[in-house]
Amino acid sequence: MADHKDVHEDILLAPIAQTGPGFYWAVAGLAVFILWGAIAYAVQFHQGLGVTGLQQPVSWGFYVTNFVFFIGISHAGTLISAILRLSKAEWRRPITRMAEVITCMVLFIGAGQILIDLGRPDRMLNVIRYGRYQSPLLWDATSISAYLTASVVYLYLPMIPDIAVLRDRLKKRKLFYSVLALGWTGTEHQQRILNRAIAIMAVLVIPIAVSVHTVVSFVFSMTLQPMWHSTIFGPYFVVGAIFSGIAALIVAMIVFRKAYGFEPYLKPIHFRYLGQLLLIMALLWFYFTFAEYLTGYYGAEPEEMKVFWAKFTGPFWPFFWGMVLCNFIIPLSCLVRLSRRTIGKVLAASLSVTVGMWLERFIIVVPTLSFPRVPFPEGVYSPSWVEWGLMAGSFALFALFYLLFTKLFPIISIWEIQEGREVGLKEVEERLLTYLPDEAEGKIFEASGGR
Amino acid sequence: MERERSDWDRVVKTLQWAIAGVFVLFVGGLIIWIIHLIRTAWRLGDVPSASVGISLVAIPVFLVLLGVVLYVFWGLLAHQREE
Repeated sequence: MADHKDVHEDILLAPIAQTGPGFYWAVAGLAVFILWGAIAYAVQFHQGLGVTGLQQPVSWGFYVTNFVFFIGISHAGTLISAILRLSKAEWRRPITRMAEVITCMVLFIGAGQILIDLGRPDRMLNVIRYGRYQSPLLWDATSISAYLTASVVYLYLPMIPDIAVLRDRLKKRKLFYSVLALGWTGTEHQQRILNRAIAIMAVLVIPIAVSVHTVVSFVFSMTLQPMWHSTIFGPYFVVGAIFSGIAALIVAMIVFRKAYGFEPYLKPIHFRYLGQLLLIMALLWFYFTFAEYLTGYYGAEPEEMKVFWAKFTGPFWPFFWGMVLCNFIIPLSCLVRLSRRTIGKVLAASLSVTVGMWLERFIIVVPTLSFPRVPFPEGVYSPSWVEWGLMAGSFALFALFYLLFTKLFPIISIWEIQEGREVGLKEVEERLLTYLPDEAEGKIFEASGGR
Repeated sequence: MERERSDWDRVVKTLQWAIAGVFVLFVGGLIIWIIHLIRTAWRLGDVPSASVGISLVAIPVFLVLLGVVLYVFWGLLAHQREE
């Protein structure tokens, strides 16, 4: 048993213990995009937002699109991990950590988009000094702070036993791991405390995560702008967020499975289950999209219809129909039958959904501003190289953060895998028996002649 | 050797409690900020009910988060000292 445990620890610790040339190539590749983003930001900081394609009436473009997109992706982790943990889904074990890391990383990048969009980041201080809770923007700041804090805690707590393994087994970063391990030795008392704290956090993060994306949607739906003022925007955004989050999680899983040789841990069955979840979310997303657009169309309010037709047949048609293709048609055709080439199909669907959900965010933000209700002239938004650079840099920064995390901590939870082998199997058997009718009850039923 | 070990332990323990302290400051700072926003809204007569309503949700959430973190730090570190 101990040998078995050591072998698993060796495999899962290998990415931290050794670093191959692939890592440096990946970092170099990402650094190019980050440099492009850094130069773009320096230019914007120096010359102002005039270097972007933002102008009246389209004052929100790529940055706000990216903000909504990244905050949406953040639902990958905490929410999926917490739901699977609470429902005692055993297949969650190799997935939860990867999902939780995505949440923390993208929340930082997402919140950063607002700083970029401000043009002058020092103006953030005005929010702190003179903020007013009348504004949904401040609700957003508060809920994202709560979500980020909760996600970091929820990521850290289940990592403590694994950090203790790193402290005991690795010869490097001794102080770093010793501090973060909090003296973990795996005693019964420690396990009780940690399990209790993880359970509380799992319950707590679900409403926080749902509230965050609802509040993000309030930034739009609390205005009277055409195609923003909608009561279903909250759940619509939450569904989209979980949808894009699952897609991002699948992509990350496939990349690290290949890069770190985690095939024995991330099996086709994991991708099949996540693929099924993605399929359900695709259907749910389509339902919400249909309901949202049908309501607008049926009402036929002139200002709404301007935006409606701009999306369907006007200047935004490639984005709108691209979104439908990427979020519904491609995933549906890939995920309906998953018996063969599961991983390839799930990857294709996930990449498609990631692109589609970005387009969806763009389609929500920009067309409405291009055709505003107030008597502004209509405007066209065309992003400049600065916005493209900052977008590429943001995505690369997220990938770099994620990559660096895998070099510091195990990306698959060692103790949860071990617990699954040692305790989980027995627990599942016992739990299964509680779901089924007792044998004695069956006999009584038989004896009574089925009455 | 023994002394080196106890020095090491002391450094580790200090840093661990420092992390807990930073978290207390962080949550404390956020709560003070929220109270400041209520005060500002009150002073300006600018819908203070909105500030109060939101803070009634936000402050307990942050306090629960702080409670969970301190529970883990206290539970793991203080128990280790007892051992």
